[in-house]
Formats: sequence, structure tokens, C-alpha cells
Amino acid sequence: MAPDSIDRTVLPIRRPPFAGTTTRTLAGCEPDWNQAMHPEPPEGAPNVLLVLIDDAGFGNPSTFGGAIDTPTYTRLADNGLRYNRFHVTALCSPTRAALLTGRNHHRVGYGMVGEFSGPFPGYNATIPRDCLPFPRPLQENGYLTGAFGKWHLTPDDQQGYSGPFNRWPTSLGFDYFWGFLGGEAGQYDPVICENTTIAGVPEGKDGRQYYFQDDLADQTIGWLHRIRSERPRTPWFAYVATGCSHAPHQVPREWSDKYRGRFDEGWDVMRKETLARQKALGVVPDDCELPPRNDAFPTWDSLDETHKRLYARQMEVYAGYSENADWNIGRIVDAIEEMGELDNTVVLWIWGDNGASMEGTLTGTFNELTTLNGLTLTPEQQMGLLFKHGGLEAWGGEMLAPHYSAGWAWASNTPFDWGKQVASHLGGTRNPMVVHWPSGIADPGGVRGHYTHVVDVAATVLELAGLPNAKTIDGIQQQPLDGPSFADSFRDAGAPEHHTQQYYEILGNRAMYKDGWLFCQRLQRIPWVIDPDQLRNEFGMSWDPENDPVELYYLPDDFAQARNIAADHSDKVKELHDLFWQEAEANHVLPLLGGLTSFFGMVPPIPEDSTFVFRGDIQNVLSGMIPRIYNHSYTISADLVIPPGGAEGVIVAEADHLGGFSLYVQDGKLKHHYSMLGVLEYTQAAEQPLPTGEVTVELVFAADAPKPATGGEVTLHVNGEPVASGRMEHTVPGRFSGYAGMDIGRDNGLVVDLGYADRAPFAFTGEIKQVVFDIAPHMSEEDARALHEHAAQSLAAHAASA
Amino acid sequence: MSDDTLDVLIAVYLIPELAQQDFDALVGLIEDKTVVSEGVVLVSKDADGEVHVTETGDHLGRKGVKVGGGVGLVLGLFAPPLLAATAVGAAAGAVVGRFARKRVSAGIGEKMDEALPPGSAGVIAIYEHAQADLVAKALANAIRSSTAQIDKASAKELKTGLAEAGAGLGG
Repeated sequence: MAPDSIDRTVLPIRRPPFAGTTTRTLAGCEPDWNQAMHPEPPEGAPNVLLVLIDDAGFGNPSTFGGAIDTPTYTRLADNGLRYNRFHVTALCSPTRAALLTGRNHHRVGYGMVGEFSGPFPGYNATIPRDCLPFPRPLQENGYLTGAFGKWHLTPDDQQGYSGPFNRWPTSLGFDYFWGFLGGEAGQYDPVICENTTIAGVPEGKDGRQYYFQDDLADQTIGWLHRIRSERPRTPWFAYVATGCSHAPHQVPREWSDKYRGRFDEGWDVMRKETLARQKALGVVPDDCELPPRNDAFPTWDSLDETHKRLYARQMEVYAGYSENADWNIGRIVDAIEEMGELDNTVVLWIWGDNGASMEGTLTGTFNELTTLNGLTLTPEQQMGLLFKHGGLEAWGGEMLAPHYSAGWAWASNTPFDWGKQVASHLGGTRNPMVVHWPSGIADPGGVRGHYTHVVDVAATVLELAGLPNAKTIDGIQQQPLDGPSFADSFRDAGAPEHHTQQYYEILGNRAMYKDGWLFCQRLQRIPWVIDPDQLRNEFGMSWDPENDPVELYYLPDDFAQARNIAADHSDKVKELHDLFWQEAEANHVLPLLGGLTSFFGMVPPIPEDSTFVFRGDIQNVLSGMIPRIYNHSYTISADLVIPPGGAEGVIVAEADHLGGFSLYVQDGKLKHHYSMLGVLEYTQAAEQPLPTGEVTVELVFAADAPKPATGGEVTLHVNGEPVASGRMEHTVPGRFSGYAGMDIGRDNGLVVDLGYADRAPFAFTGEIKQVVFDIAPHMSEEDARALHEHAAQSLAAHAASA
Repeated sequence: MSDDTLDVLIAVYLIPELAQQDFDALVGLIEDKTVVSEGVVLVSKDADGEVHVTETGDHLGRKGVKVGGGVGLVLGLFAPPLLAATAVGAAAGAVVGRFARKRVSAGIGEKMDEALPPGSAGVIAIYEHAQADLVAKALANAIRSSTAQIDKASAKELKTGLAEAGAGLGG
């Protein structure tokens, strides 16, 4: 299609008027081949590789002075540019939404994350049709588009076989998607989605254990090879979002062992050493000061020797995990180079969608889901459970779902304070970015200090591609982009700053940037504590955000937000304070804490469906889509056919040994195993084998009361007769797993009961006609509402940390 | 509690090196006769899951003498299947404690093997109850410990005490 005939602001691009002629036969016809062409990008449009690392800090990669070796990142930076004043939103989905739509996160419904769809426009986790992501204009203009890895922009309750699929990647501008939809995945046993298919849990090849990041690189390279074999010149856009460095922190030992002893001096020393390296590299000014020490994090010297060793190992694993991500992105870069396309590929690589995560609590945790379920464990309990589940040697392996201590996150965010969730402080919002484009950068190795924000990427990529932003897509008028392009800074270190003001808000932590000044108010809450009572009491209807302490910084003179000068600049405080509220209103930020409504009595309607029937081969039901059996009575029944020789295997299983349940037959006998997040485990087992023929088995959980984490009695029935019973003192109140799925007739991925791990997935050898969940607990309306409220709170709590 | 009471203590460690450090500290107390012990054993499990046992079965606390073909007090507590897969450390005592020849089979060996994940360690110590505070200070790096009391000179009591202490480690 001839470029000059195209109106690229109205998408999809309309077929051009027929410019040929037709007669009754081919004789005398003038063909117009544009009728059969697809749109092509403007001449010279480059490829774009957009890389996003997860839950990582400014002070992590060695490229920016950090302690983690990132040779690929450094290679690209040394031949490209380091941006040292690049900003994100301080939380996963919000940053991804802003990145891809080019609009402020609340304006596209992502004041919170995809797990929680709230009742206000800024928090509904639903990208509006008038703010479609920029891959869509790229796609409509002929770019080949692929998304790989973490997505986290599909609402939690829309991630099933029934969709709806209009918020899946392939409905938002990507030709192809391979990765996981939620906020996290196990690196050894993710549940993979491909386009709109739930592909399941992959297995290792050639005797090697499966590892997600390796596969992520393989899949990206494979896609590049495939599209290139068919379209040798068409530019592509690849969005590669690693699961790293989000929990669970998992990496093969050879990566973490490289760091043995490197963190033995602790996080206080790490902050100092990182700052020194940052100054030497020139990514922070020579006069950069660390903020006053934050007492929320214990001094390293105050720890006993065992905890020092434990915490050091936690960071060794995190470092190896992160370096592996760098290495795998390097494989993609190398593949592009081998294809001869690196010179014409713009690489935009952001190291962290938010600052490093503090959600492991001060001790770190063997299972991140304990924190997210509101299960507070003492340091002694954490230590004991780590010991039980494999000790220090297991940290980084598949048997734990670990997250390091908040102290390491704080150090990872050097030179800044706080971290993920804390949008008022640069530890949550300022992350490294590297741009690599040999044919488009004037001074390779340069550092750019332009104030830039993740919302600017869309306009930048569109400008580089030579494309306007769309006025309409699918007939819907598109809202303007919020972020300006910074493409001119590639060639010109002296290019003016285009992004001069920006609001920030996540979970009540808020800030207003304008012309170098940063006004901020931090919600007086420890980020790794989501306590419903505290939230209600301190931040409920009587909360006045104006009472939060006021801070003001002038960042051109104070790179790390170290000197609060609010007391000396009351006029500036007022100006930015007022501007924040204006921006908050304009961008749907209001009401503050709109992503935590369930803690304040605003809960979604109670679902009407209470019976769920699974027939046939259903596997890998994503964790947010399983029947809600939490906190009340329920039954699970199964109609089976047991052959004459007997049968064995899993009837139904959800998640794994760190949280999940399995109803199965072993040695011919019916069993139920329930893991309360790896903290407590319960098993009930029949003494007699199942009869043959048609058999109905049933698990009845009679809760003590409809309340969070309720205990209760389990009874197993065979053909209506009780065959086993037992008590479960505590049950999982919110969610078994952040990613692992539920399977009928097998237990995919890591298994629930390690007693059959050697036979995994322990597929059922008889016939399963159907499995029926009945989650109607016959409770009072008041109890039903209370539980529903708790369920919504659990979701929000999980979401805040995802 | 009579003067004849003995403590049977089982302590577990996340870090084997710290277990060794505590073990050495306790043996030091025994050597200088600050603590009177019927025996101390260090059980460590390496990253590959192989169990290593180092013992001073000597109530005088002498270390560093090879055990030779015999087994000492606490090694006597380990059942043969475990011993078969066990690398016996070089610091085992030559003069065994009064329980040693009785080969008490309390199953504690298997329990320790089960309880210790790879890359961890445990210490079992039997000493006079009156010195419990001194021992506790010496074993400062244990992440969890459990103690039972027994009367002296009774293998049956020892077996019971070990079982009781082992049970106390659970949960």
C-alpha cells in the first residue's frame, strides 16, 4: 500500500479506493494491487525490543552501580544510553498499563493491579477502549507484534477458558502472546498461556529441569525467526517482560552460587558500596547523599549470625536470578544481532516496573503466599518452616516460593528510600532505563538526565516508527497520550525536557513532580503489612490524607530525595499540593485507596453461582478462576468408574505442597491432602480400597463457622458411606497460590502431596465422569456478606503485592 | 529434681558451620570440666544429603581420637541403616560414656536424618541438668532446641528422653 495514500490516524487503516478499472472480462482491466496489500509501516521504521524487568531497584544492576552482574545491560548501555531519571508508577500492573497505553495508570483503570477490579474508574482494571495500547497502532500500521512473559493486565476473573478475551494480549495489539497472564509465576512450573489458549505447565527437555526464563528467551527468538522467515523486511515490535525478579525467587544453583559471600557484609554496607559505584559510573551526581537512615529496616549489625547467613543467601539467590534474566535477554539480543538487525533495532530496557519489593517482610519468607494471605509468622516460625521445607539449600529451588527480606529491597533501591508500592518516594518510582540503537544515538555510552516517565514510552516508540497516535481505533475516538516522546534525547544530550510534571499515586502514597520539585505524602503504613484492622482504623472513613506528613525536595540539587525542605518552601508545597489534587481528579485517582475498597465495606456483588461441574479433560484452571472454597463449608464430589483391577491417581488437585488440596486414590484408597500454605498439613485416608464399578466419592468440609481461615471437619464418603474423617484446624483464607492451577484427573506441576511426587502428575487410571464443587455453604446472609468481604480483601491484599 | 538428673538436648541449626562452632564451644566446656557430659554429637547433612556424624562420647570431653571399629555413646543411638550411610567424623571420642556399650536404639538417628534438610546440622548433648544454662549459652546459634530430663544410668531412660526431646522439636 503506497505510504502517501494512507491516513494512519484512523485505524484500522481503510482499504484504499480501487484505482484500477474493471470490465466484463479480464481483457482491458487495470489491476490495483493495493487492494490486496496489507498496510506497511513507514519506510525506515525500526524494530523495537521493549524489555521490562520485574520488582527490581535502581541499585540492582551493575550497569547502574549495583552489586548484580548485568553484562548484557552494560554492553547495551555502553553502546547506547543510560537514563538515570526515568520513573515508573511503583506497582506492577499500573506501570505496565502506563507503559503500553501511554496514559496515566489511573486513567486506564489501573490504580491497582489486575487481580482486583474495583468499583471506580481509576481502579477497575479494565483498559478503556478509548485508550488502547500503542502496540495496536503499530499492529494496524503493519508492524509484527509479539508479547512474551509476564502480562498482568487481564482481570483475575477473566483468565479462564471462557474469557472474555478482550483484555488478553492478542486483543490489545499483539499478534502473538506467550507467557503468563497474572502477576507472577513459578520459574520451574509456570502455567503458560499462548494467545488465548492455556497451554499448561511445561516440562524440561533432554533431562534438564524446565526454567521459565530460558524458555522466555527461546520463545522470543523462535518468534523472531518465524516471522523473519516469512517477512524479511517488515519491522517488528517485541515486548519481553520477565517474571524475574518477582517472587518466587528461583534460579538454578549455578547462578546463585556465583554470589557466595558477596553479600555477607549486609544491606547497610551494600547501600554505601553501591552509592560509591554509582558515583564512579556517573549515574548519580558526585554530591548525591543517601536519605537519612530508615528505621523500618534493622541494621545489619543488630542481626544474629544465623539470620545474617540466611539473609545473605536470600540476596545471593536474588542476584543470581537477576543475572540470569540479563543473560537470557542477552540471548535475544545476540539472536537479533545474528539476524543482522541489531543496528536497526531500538532496544528500550527498563530495569524494574517498580522499585524492589519489600513484601517478603523483614525476615524474608519461605512462601510469599503466607504474607499475601495475611498469615503473620514470627521470625522463629519462618525459620522453622524454612527448615521444614528444605533449609537454606532449598532457597532458589522449586520446593520453596521465597521472597527475600525487605532489607535487601531497600538496599536494592539505593540511593533511594523505600521501594515497591511507595509512590511518594524514588525507591518505588525511579528505575534504570537503557536505550540502544546504534543507528540512532549520537554519543554511545552517554548518560541522560532527562526527567522521563514510563508513560512516555508510547509516544517515543510511535515517533521512532514514524507513526502518529491514532485519532480513532475501531471507530472509537482515542484519548490523547499523557506522556511526551523523549526520542530527541537519543541524538541530542541537550534536548529539552518535555515531561515537566507528573503525579504519582499508589495505595495512598502520593507525590507531585513539577520542574524539578517533588512534593510527597506517604501513607503512614509499612508496605509489607496489610492488616485489615489497621487499614480500617487508620485509613478508613475518618482518615484525612492532609494529615500525612508533608515532604518537599528539589531533585536537581538532591538526586536521592535526601533533604526535605518543605519547611522552607511553604508556597511551593501549597502549589504542588493543589496541583496533585487537580491531577488526581483529572486522572481518576479519586478516591484515594480506591483499590482497597473491600477493606472499607465496599465489596463486589456476591456471585450467584455456587455449583461448578467439571466434565472431561480440564486442566490448568488458573488460580484466580477456581471455585471459591475458602472460609466456609463446601463439598467436592466425583463420579468415578473404577475398573476391575482398581484405580489410582488424582481426582482433583489445586496448586502444590506450599498451598493446595488434592483428592486422590493411592493404593486403591481414597485420600485427601490439604496444605495450609506449607505451614500446616492435613491428610484423611480411607482404610479400605474403593470398590470397582461406578463409584461416587465425596469430600465434605464442615466449617466451624463461616469465618476467615476457619477450621472444620473433613469427612470422606464412598457411595454415601463415611470412610475417613479428620479435623483441619486452619484453612487457607485467601488464595492457595499466586499462579499454580487446578487439574481434574491429575496434579500438574509441583504436586500437593509429596507422597506421590515421584509419580507426578499421578494421572487417574480409572474414569472420571464428573467432579462437582458445591460451595453453597447455607450460611446466614450476614455471614455470607462477611466472608465475601474477606474474600475481596484477600484479593486486594494479594493484588497489592502482585 | 535430683542431682542425678541429666538433660537430653537436641538442637538444630540452619547453618552447619554455626553448629560446628557451637559444638566446639560445648566440647571446650566439657574439656575444661565446666560441663559434665555423657556425650555430645554433631550431625550434619551436606548439600547432597549425606549425613556426617562427629562425636565426643567421652564424658571427659576428649576429642580427636579415632573411634576405630567401635561406636561411641551417641553413635550407638543411631540404627545401623543410618550408620551404613553415614560418614563418621574424625573427632570421635575414644573413651565412651557409660551408656555407650548399651547401644541404645531410640530411633533418634533416623529422626535426625528426617528432620535435617540438606545443608543443615544438629547437636545432641547429654549433660547434668544443673549445667543447662551453660550449655544453652554454648549452643547459642541453634534455631530450635528441645530438652528432656532423665535419670542417670538408665538406658531405658535415655531412650525415652531422646524420644521426648525429639518430639519437642516438631511443630
